[in-house]
Amino acid sequence: MTTPQTSDDVTRRDFLETVAKTGGQSFLFGSMFVNTALLRLPQDAAPASAKAKADAEAGKGIIYGFVVDTTKCIGCGSCVRACRAENGVPDGYNRTWVEQYTFYPNGEVVVNSPVGGENGFAEPGPTRNMPAELATVQPVRGFFVPKLCNHCIDTPCIQVCPVGASFKTDEGVVLVDHERCVGCAYCVQACPFGSRYLNPDTMTADKCTWCYHRITKGKLPACVVSCPAEARIFGNVSDPTSKISQILATNRVQVLKSYLGTRPRTRYIGLDSEVI
Amino acid sequence: MRHAAHFARLVALVAVAVAGFLFVRSKVVPKDFGVKGHYRLSAIADEAKREPRHIGSADCADCHSEIYEAWSTGKHHIPQCENCHGPGLMHTKVVGEESTAAYPDKMLKVSKLAIRRPTGFTECKWCHLKTFERPSTLKSIASVEQHITQHNGKYTPDSKCVDCHNPHTTLVTPGKSGLAFLSQAAK
Amino acid sequence: MHHFITEGYVLPNQQHIYWTVMIVLYPYITGIVAGAFIISSLHHVFDKDELKPVSRFAMVMAFAFLLFATLPLLNHLGHPERALNIMFTPNVTSAMAGFGFIYSTYLFILAVEIWLVYRTDIVHLYNETKYPALRPVYWLLALGVLDISKEAEAVDHKVMLFLASIGIPAACGLHGYVGFIFGAIKANPWWASPLMPVIFLLSAIVSGVAMVMICYIIIQWLNGREISGPAVQALIETAWYFLIIDVVLELLELINHAYMANEDWAILKTLVTTKLFVSMFVIQILLGSVIPFLAMGAVVVFKERIPAMVRNIIGVAGGVLLLAQVAAMRWNVVMGGQMFSKSLRGFLNFEVDIGGREGLLAGIFIFCLPFVVIFVFSRLLPLWGDVSTFPKEWMKEKPVERQPLKGWSKFSS
Repeated sequence: MTTPQTSDDVTRRDFLETVAKTGGQSFLFGSMFVNTALLRLPQDAAPASAKAKADAEAGKGIIYGFVVDTTKCIGCGSCVRACRAENGVPDGYNRTWVEQYTFYPNGEVVVNSPVGGENGFAEPGPTRNMPAELATVQPVRGFFVPKLCNHCIDTPCIQVCPVGASFKTDEGVVLVDHERCVGCAYCVQACPFGSRYLNPDTMTADKCTWCYHRITKGKLPACVVSCPAEARIFGNVSDPTSKISQILATNRVQVLKSYLGTRPRTRYIGLDSEVI
Repeated sequence: MRHAAHFARLVALVAVAVAGFLFVRSKVVPKDFGVKGHYRLSAIADEAKREPRHIGSADCADCHSEIYEAWSTGKHHIPQCENCHGPGLMHTKVVGEESTAAYPDKMLKVSKLAIRRPTGFTECKWCHLKTFERPSTLKSIASVEQHITQHNGKYTPDSKCVDCHNPHTTLVTPGKSGLAFLSQAAK
Repeated sequence: MHHFITEGYVLPNQQHIYWTVMIVLYPYITGIVAGAFIISSLHHVFDKDELKPVSRFAMVMAFAFLLFATLPLLNHLGHPERALNIMFTPNVTSAMAGFGFIYSTYLFILAVEIWLVYRTDIVHLYNETKYPALRPVYWLLALGVLDISKEAEAVDHKVMLFLASIGIPAACGLHGYVGFIFGAIKANPWWASPLMPVIFLLSAIVSGVAMVMICYIIIQWLNGREISGPAVQALIETAWYFLIIDVVLELLELINHAYMANEDWAILKTLVTTKLFVSMFVIQILLGSVIPFLAMGAVVVFKERIPAMVRNIIGVAGGVLLLAQVAAMRWNVVMGGQMFSKSLRGFLNFEVDIGGREGLLAGIFIFCLPFVVIFVFSRLLPLWGDVSTFPKEWMKEKPVERQPLKGWSKFSS
């Protein structure tokens, strides 16, 4: 006769047996769904890679880039108006804006962007930032800096989107899927440049798209077309004969907040150390 | 099955919940999600299919050929038509009697012809009213009153740039409104 | 969202504050959950017997608050109907995407733990409840299994220990990831810090312990029941120790910013010394940290020499100040980080909405809901002890044993 096992052993064994049986049966059912729901079926992967190959062979290896030449900007605000009209940007928000930098003899810098520069800067309106003590002082130098989404290579905005609503196309353009975005505004917080906003009409995140709907039809972004000073240049940086490639080859360019490592695709000519 | 029946039921409940979750997920997540990256592939097409609202000055020439000729050969050919007149898409649809139902009202309400009617004053000041930070190569005036008085004109609060300047060619016609010569090319 | 008054140069898209009361409330609620859970785990896992009187209540309170943790988030989302996308297509690089799974897992662990703790009482009350309408409720809670033999209890106990031990890292995960949501954002110099998850977790524990302490003392006092001295002493000591580590790290973060004096320090210094002066130095540090440190420290040091009444008052008052401290800390992090612009040149003056979807009143309302759940729970199951403490008047009357009548004794044998 074998030594009777302790009640503890019996309990533990029975318990594990029960759980294993029930769990195993449930898992089998569950895994059926897992296969269909979670895993990508092999044939889904094939067409994407085959297409990419065909595109590359057809010479569609386009990578877009943008250059802002701050030495040429006259602060007319045409780009801001054109963008707002082209993309239906809601009032109070900007997909692109122009900043005005004014330097005073005591070394102080005053930065302005009244309504994003939409009315230009000659008669900007009452939202102009002007410290009282400098109102009558003659400035020593100044310039304008247009800004827009930098369409970074290592985007912090795509990194933090919880649902995969923020993404990058093959050409390097960062877009938002307005049907998946839940409106948490995490990407808005994560953008170091303030390029994003929560659109109050759609309640989703929104930002400059480099006028994706225009550039995919062979047109230029609205801000580039409307700029009368050639301060904005857009094009295919993987084509060495394009205007932008030539500008990048012959100029010293900077990016904003390079120390953050987001690797913006929007480059600037003539940035000053006071431009943050 | 001794003394652990309640755990068996708990595990079964959990399994049902997980299976239910996966089932709902398979129905709700779009099939083209995750194909190329962690996003819905058709979102790219959603963005790309939007209609450009600025049509480009060359397309304005289809109907406004004389003005286009005057403008493109004159000194003011750098700012585009739509810089002062706003986007032209709605205008082409309204005059071409196409349906505008799919567009927001805001785009149509600018004027009867769904294109911005310039004031002949505000638009000019955007570029030509002097600001300190502007590169000095652009012709600018310090103030409207000073400019008019300097050129022996009579300034009133209603004075407009187009009272003397042709906005398309920059041709100056003192005493006569510049609007009378909109189509006339500068010689 | 409306425009706020700006000072200096604020980037055009930053003239709105996107994360307001709801986003301050969410970590506050999950914080209370973590702290209450630690108290109950100190008893269940680490055998701190002084906390036995509060361990069941702490667990129930943690569960009640956890039930409503999602509500402030759903209320804030632009599209709450799409909220499940976070679980259907989570982006693995996003800390926020962790919410769905971490929350569900922890909710499951806590629910099962409470279930196991209360299982024998549930079955007992199924048999003994006076109200027939409640019997199906108890039956469902028992999952239809009425086995409360010694062997079943032994199995329950083992599983409970296991859950309590994995529950602690799960609770740390539930709150740590919130800190990471802020701490990993390099775009915001006020948030970006590796200390952020630790600070959030420690302040969470402080708030949870404080809440348990306040509720215990006040509820027992209102019901005229005994307040266990050792329990209050243990609660005060736990809160005190965690307060010290929490405040040290909070101050360390600030001092580190000031000492390194990066490009962002100029504007952060102005932020902290002007806009956040009251909420940080007066509420968070002076009222919320220094005063509780001194008062509760006296209780920790002098132990039995402090009269019970004084100890209880310090427990409640200290607890309230600690709750204010943690609320102020959350406010300073979330709102402070949005009150200055990424241009590093301007500020936003924020006036909190009283009404509205994301206003103060909505926040207070959501915060009160867990107490409703706790109240309902207390009608069904005993909060403060085992089933013998459950009100007898809600249970079936036991048949009264008939005593033989004294005057008839000559007829009884």
